Amino acid sequence: MRARKSPWRIAQILAVSVPLLAQTPAQHQLDLDSFEKVWSTVHNTHWQEKPGGLDWDAIHAEFRPKAEKAATTAEMREVMRAMLARLKQTHFGIIANETYAQLDPNAMGEGVSGIDVRVLGKDAVVVRVDPGSSAERAGVKPGWVVHSVEGAEFTPLILQAQANPEIHELQLTRSLEAKMSGDPGKKLRFEFTDDQNRQVEMDLMLELGRGTLAGIGNMPPQRVWFESRRIGDVAYIRFNFFLDLVRVMSGFQQAVNDCMRCQGLILDLRGNPGGIGGMAMGMSGFLVDRAGQKLGTMYMREATLNFVVNPRPEVFPGAVAVLVDGCSASTSEILAEGLKDLGRARVFGTKTAAAALPSNFEKLPNGDGFQYALANYISEGGKPLEGLGVTPDEEVILTRKALLAGTDPVIDAALRWVDTKGRKQ
Amino acid sequence: MTRRLVLVILWTSVVWGADMLPTPDEIFDKYIQVTGGKQAYDQVKTQITKGTLEFTAQGVKGTVTTWKEAPNNYISSLQIGGIGDIEMGVSNGVAWEKSAILGPRIKTGTERAEAIREATLNATLHWKELFTKATVEGVEKVDGEDCYKLVLQPKEGKPMTQYYQKKSGLAVKVMTVVSNQMGEVPVTITVSDYKNFGGVWMPAKTSQKAAGQEFTVTIDSVETNPEIPASRFALPAEIKALAAKAEAAQ
Repeated sequence: MRARKSPWRIAQILAVSVPLLAQTPAQHQLDLDSFEKVWSTVHNTHWQEKPGGLDWDAIHAEFRPKAEKAATTAEMREVMRAMLARLKQTHFGIIANETYAQLDPNAMGEGVSGIDVRVLGKDAVVVRVDPGSSAERAGVKPGWVVHSVEGAEFTPLILQAQANPEIHELQLTRSLEAKMSGDPGKKLRFEFTDDQNRQVEMDLMLELGRGTLAGIGNMPPQRVWFESRRIGDVAYIRFNFFLDLVRVMSGFQQAVNDCMRCQGLILDLRGNPGGIGGMAMGMSGFLVDRAGQKLGTMYMREATLNFVVNPRPEVFPGAVAVLVDGCSASTSEILAEGLKDLGRARVFGTKTAAAALPSNFEKLPNGDGFQYALANYISEGGKPLEGLGVTPDEEVILTRKALLAGTDPVIDAALRWVDTKGRKQ
Repeated sequence: MTRRLVLVILWTSVVWGADMLPTPDEIFDKYIQVTGGKQAYDQVKTQITKGTLEFTAQGVKGTVTTWKEAPNNYISSLQIGGIGDIEMGVSNGVAWEKSAILGPRIKTGTERAEAIREATLNATLHWKELFTKATVEGVEKVDGEDCYKLVLQPKEGKPMTQYYQKKSGLAVKVMTVVSNQMGEVPVTITVSDYKNFGGVWMPAKTSQKAAGQEFTVTIDSVETNPEIPASRFALPAEIKALAAKAEAAQ
């Protein structure tokens, strides 16, 4: 009897094991909770009463049975993605738990080596080295390629991210930065290809980053720096966040006033992920002389807000060039495209992050990442920035060769244009 | 005595009953009466109010100080962490604003009209000068209490709906659409915690919900009839420069 029962028992276990391997009831509940969270978030926060013009209750009725039938988390993810795809709007996405964990930009530590990287092709290339940083002291130079940090290779991560259209350059770069950060005082082992194409390994000390800590309310504080200088008869302004409002606005005003009669002004927004949207309006007031102009319009469920420009008593009259790249997002995009639409600036660099909306990243109950936008933003030229980004008037791609030669082709292109414009005037 | 009380109750129920709504005059008269009386209001010529401001969900806090002088000179100074100083004012009919974020600007049109209306000291006493039409539209519950719904049409701008508690006569809620240069934003304001400040009862707590955000202003102190130098209401230099620029452009 026992011998005959055993196969039955094994079959029973197998029968039970198959669905268990696919999903436990607890996991299924977490997935269902995630489905409900996604649906209700869109229902409650989308800027259109009918999100995407859809009857969102009917969408729930259609997709809930599919969610209940989803046998695995992967299947549930596809149900949620299919539901969000009905919106036909960008910045609504589900990022798999495993990928999300690997690309978590929140893992950023306060200690950094002073290296700023961009993904050029399949490589993480150093584009800037902060003055006085441990990387500079160790001799790291723009143009070097970062291969790995603490043994974690960057190329597979870059390829994985590039294969996922929901992960944009900004997010990828932030995750690489996170891997190069940690607690101040800690040393990380970096593997580079240097300017002589040699493989170089070095330990870099993590130190507090450049700038001063600034935040607003519950927003985690960020290290904010502002720099301005003269390049010939051109004012050059760069800052890393639209935060630390009083200091950055005051620095901007000072830089403009100091160069009020200059031929041109270069506003370098490369790598700037945004911050306080109103600062775009405030800065435009130093550059746009005509009253009644706006950068664009933000559409929320309860209100429509115009990003208006208040011309200052004295406005910069020269040529304005704005520099952007794939890590220029949000307020940077609003400012760049708005000035472009108003015919006030020429934009140089590469396409921006296309993340102009206030969008949130949240963790779902099942651990997946969920991104959703809260409002729509249309630039003054009628173009939504979300998902489309700012396309530069003049595309200038940063190359490793140029970086190794100590030049910045994007700044050079802007300077040439300012010079040409100045000679025409 | 008992009979008189019953008569008063009966009279009250007739006057304030659902079928016979009070007039706007009666609502305002009662409000003025329960918050100190006309004489107390009339005595207020200048006022300095100090308080705190908080966007609870965002964790943003600040302080607010206002200076008022009859009939409608007004300055409001906000210091908000992470945003810096914002000053708004009405100086002899010029409505303006300046801030670290947006710089200086002069308000025009409906926004100017709203600023002047807000700046009017003892506005309740002067409601007929500020609104062209007032209608009591019925009784609605606010936080479980029956309230008269009073709709006011300003000379410029969108109608404002105010709710006055039937029982106490106090204002508890205002719904309106605020116009500013960024657009028109529906706003819901709830007021509470009435306190006696210099003989006039004022709501010490005001919560505003607009465009998905909510903030609360709590009044800590009100100084009645302080000496306020005229320079306090003078136009700031940046506003004067803007006005001169606009004049030169014309």
